[in-house]
Amino acid sequence: MGERTIDIRTVAVLALVGALVFAVPLLTADRYLLKVLTFVGINVIIITGMALLFGYAGQVSLGHAAFYGIGAYTSAYVVTSLGWPWLGGVALAVAVTSVGGLLLALPSLRLKGHYLAMATLGFGEIMRVVFVEARGITGGPDGFSGIPFASVGGLAIDSAGANYWLIWGVAAAMLALAANLVRSRAGRAMRALHGSELGALACGIDLTGLKVRVFVISAALAGLAGALYAHVVGFISPSTFSLHASVVLVAMAVLGGTRSLAGPVLAAALLTLIPFADAVIPGLSRSALETIQEWQEDIYGLTIIAVLLFVPGGVAGALRRLSRVGRRWG
Amino acid sequence: MSLLEVRSVSKQFGGLTAVDDVSFDVFEGAIKAVIGPNGAGKTTLFNILTAFDRPDEGRVSFDGTDIVGQPPQRIVRAGIARTFQNTQLFEEMSTHENVMAGAHAVTRAGFFGAALRLPWTVREEREVAEEARRLLRLVGLEEWADTPAADLPHGLRRLLEIARALATRPRLLLLDEPAAGLNTAETASLADALYRIRDRGTTILIVEHDMGLVMEVSDEIVVLDRGAKIAEGPPRLIQKDPAVIAAYLGEEDLDEL
Amino acid sequence: MGGTELLQFVLAGLKNGSIYALVALGFTLIYAATGVINFAQGEFYMLGGMLSVWAYADLGLPLPLAGLVGVAATAAVGGVFELGAIRQRKDGDPLALIVITVGGSMVLSSMARHLFGPNERPLPLFSGGGSVSVFGAVLEVQTIWILGLTALAVVGLWYLYNRTGLGRAMRACAVNRDAARIVGIDTRLMVTVSFLLAAALGALAGLAVTPLTQTAFDVGPTVGIKGFAAAILGGLGNPIAAVVGGLVLGMLESVSIAFISSTYKDAIALIVLLAVLFMRPQGILGRSSREKV
Repeated sequence: MGERTIDIRTVAVLALVGALVFAVPLLTADRYLLKVLTFVGINVIIITGMALLFGYAGQVSLGHAAFYGIGAYTSAYVVTSLGWPWLGGVALAVAVTSVGGLLLALPSLRLKGHYLAMATLGFGEIMRVVFVEARGITGGPDGFSGIPFASVGGLAIDSAGANYWLIWGVAAAMLALAANLVRSRAGRAMRALHGSELGALACGIDLTGLKVRVFVISAALAGLAGALYAHVVGFISPSTFSLHASVVLVAMAVLGGTRSLAGPVLAAALLTLIPFADAVIPGLSRSALETIQEWQEDIYGLTIIAVLLFVPGGVAGALRRLSRVGRRWG
Repeated sequence: MSLLEVRSVSKQFGGLTAVDDVSFDVFEGAIKAVIGPNGAGKTTLFNILTAFDRPDEGRVSFDGTDIVGQPPQRIVRAGIARTFQNTQLFEEMSTHENVMAGAHAVTRAGFFGAALRLPWTVREEREVAEEARRLLRLVGLEEWADTPAADLPHGLRRLLEIARALATRPRLLLLDEPAAGLNTAETASLADALYRIRDRGTTILIVEHDMGLVMEVSDEIVVLDRGAKIAEGPPRLIQKDPAVIAAYLGEEDLDEL
Repeated sequence: MGGTELLQFVLAGLKNGSIYALVALGFTLIYAATGVINFAQGEFYMLGGMLSVWAYADLGLPLPLAGLVGVAATAAVGGVFELGAIRQRKDGDPLALIVITVGGSMVLSSMARHLFGPNERPLPLFSGGGSVSVFGAVLEVQTIWILGLTALAVVGLWYLYNRTGLGRAMRACAVNRDAARIVGIDTRLMVTVSFLLAAALGALAGLAVTPLTQTAFDVGPTVGIKGFAAAILGGLGNPIAAVVGGLVLGMLESVSIAFISSTYKDAIALIVLLAVLFMRPQGILGRSSREKV
């Protein structure tokens, strides 16, 4: 614990999970399943940022779907309409969302905690209006279609399996970077800030600077996920990037628990799969699926409330208990 | 040489004068104490000296530079570290990590370098971990390194906070009522730790209500009463000062004088 | 633009503004009692309209009674939400409570969809479809109802705050909760009361406006955000500021439609919200005590 070295058991578990995730396209040819799991990977990228923001820096954003949308429309527009290469579109999406995150975070984070929630809510709604009204770029309420698949040089990433590997490759890389980050000086400062703001100040930690940086990272990750999403599905429309989507992201972060990456990742996977339950549960009846979809809003909302009231640790807390038990018996 | 200069500092709260025209010096290498009965303005003065609050009037300079109005993180970088009367530990982090967090201001690894685990950040991290172990030994907490701060016995929490403050590599260490709530044995080990810290070259300023510790460890004492300085000098003289005795009349500490 | 046309925009601004004012009052009451932004406030507006429609169309009650049932039932939902969720978070951590209200908002709108269906539902005008002419501008009778009910609610709230023991207790809580507790005020009860009142105010707004716009399960968030912008614009925590903020916001929207364009009309409130948050977080009527980290 002292140096926070990773023990051998954790390495083994991570390696096994990683191998399983990357073997999926070899084990199944079910395009629907691959697509759904690709969505999970995209949400894992966003939730990595949300986990840093909510779980480590203790901030709530109600507007991250807007960054997701900005990333998606930016890359879709410059690649489809202006003929930029895919990598250029993704890079621009990350740059634009980083700057946007910085401009939003700087004024709101100088103020007390809940101002960020309000400012992000307002920002998200402004962007929703922009996505609908800026028809020349976004295609308006009908959406933006004909976005090409990702391609690097002459190599097009155009099969379901290839897209799956692309998304999960990026997700794994982002998770690895975030895992390094939380075990570093910066991660320690974030956990310190969560523990005691006064104590963190006494350690010379620049609280505002730290929160702003984390917010920018989370915005950039949402933008990256949006850009990847646009080229995976080929069609985007404003409804994907609504307040509702932002709230679902908050539900994932809350369910995931604080000071953890694994918890939020599992929570994101779980909540992403709810409306696509038929992809992972073979033989699920049509009507059962419809019932689940009918009640998914209630599931998200009640999850938020129940976790905050009765299961403070969320999934992360459960994982910690599990690993304690594992150590005792292992 | 005067490390900390306090000149004519005053602070009012809604017509009530909490600190009234207080001046004194803290000399390098000394252990100095500010004492006074309850409500003498000690905590307000302490917060002003650590830039957590600003005075209405007066000047505080550290090593020749004015520190009034600077953000706390700048003060820490300048070389002033503090502890809190109600300890502000990072409860869910281990004792060792708490001290490592204290090294924040004197290390450099940023988000980018840390995320990519650049070699120099890994080296820096190793050095911080070693330094934190040394500091835990200095205050006598090495056996508790892996214990979460929340599980640390009450009497040791102050020592941890002192170790964390030392990790900022301060030239001046400010302690806010470090003996409050400690038993005799704990106070004795606190005094030992203070001597060891002073001997490493760190100047110490203690703001304290309890006279016992202060009389033992201080080289010089400033006495506040109702916001104003009523006496200053070595412990022996302070003990006999009629103004100090009068100020403490009616306080339970009288018999300790 | 002629004077008559301008007056027409002013009347439209007043109408929307008083709706925002009622919703903003709800935000302010709850914020004063708990320090929490209740993101479910817009759902109270939705429920006010929806439950009134249900009482009128499904239960067959006469309109005035149906309206009363709608407002009372929404107030009850507000109370139950406070007792069942807000109060159960023992440490009162504001950030957690805010997120809980976000979850509550989602559940309430979804429940409304389960119970009343996904479609828009109408309510008849309170007293027919007439209108009167004010210096040449058209003023619909329903708008008079909206303005009148808002004025009535504001006066009633003023009376409650300034002339009753309950109101004094609520004000004491808003100023200093710990001190209020020490002098024997049941601060928990005051929180419940503020949720009841906030829900009733939101419901009244929803009820008054439904005859003009119809209502649906998903109308809550949009109006919630505007009411919230109004509360911030005026200065959070001050009832008079909430009313002023609502009216000013309604006018701003109306004027911007007149002079700029209607394309981004829904963004106006939000831009105002961000501008106020960034430049004057204490609101136009708030005292300049900037909250620092």
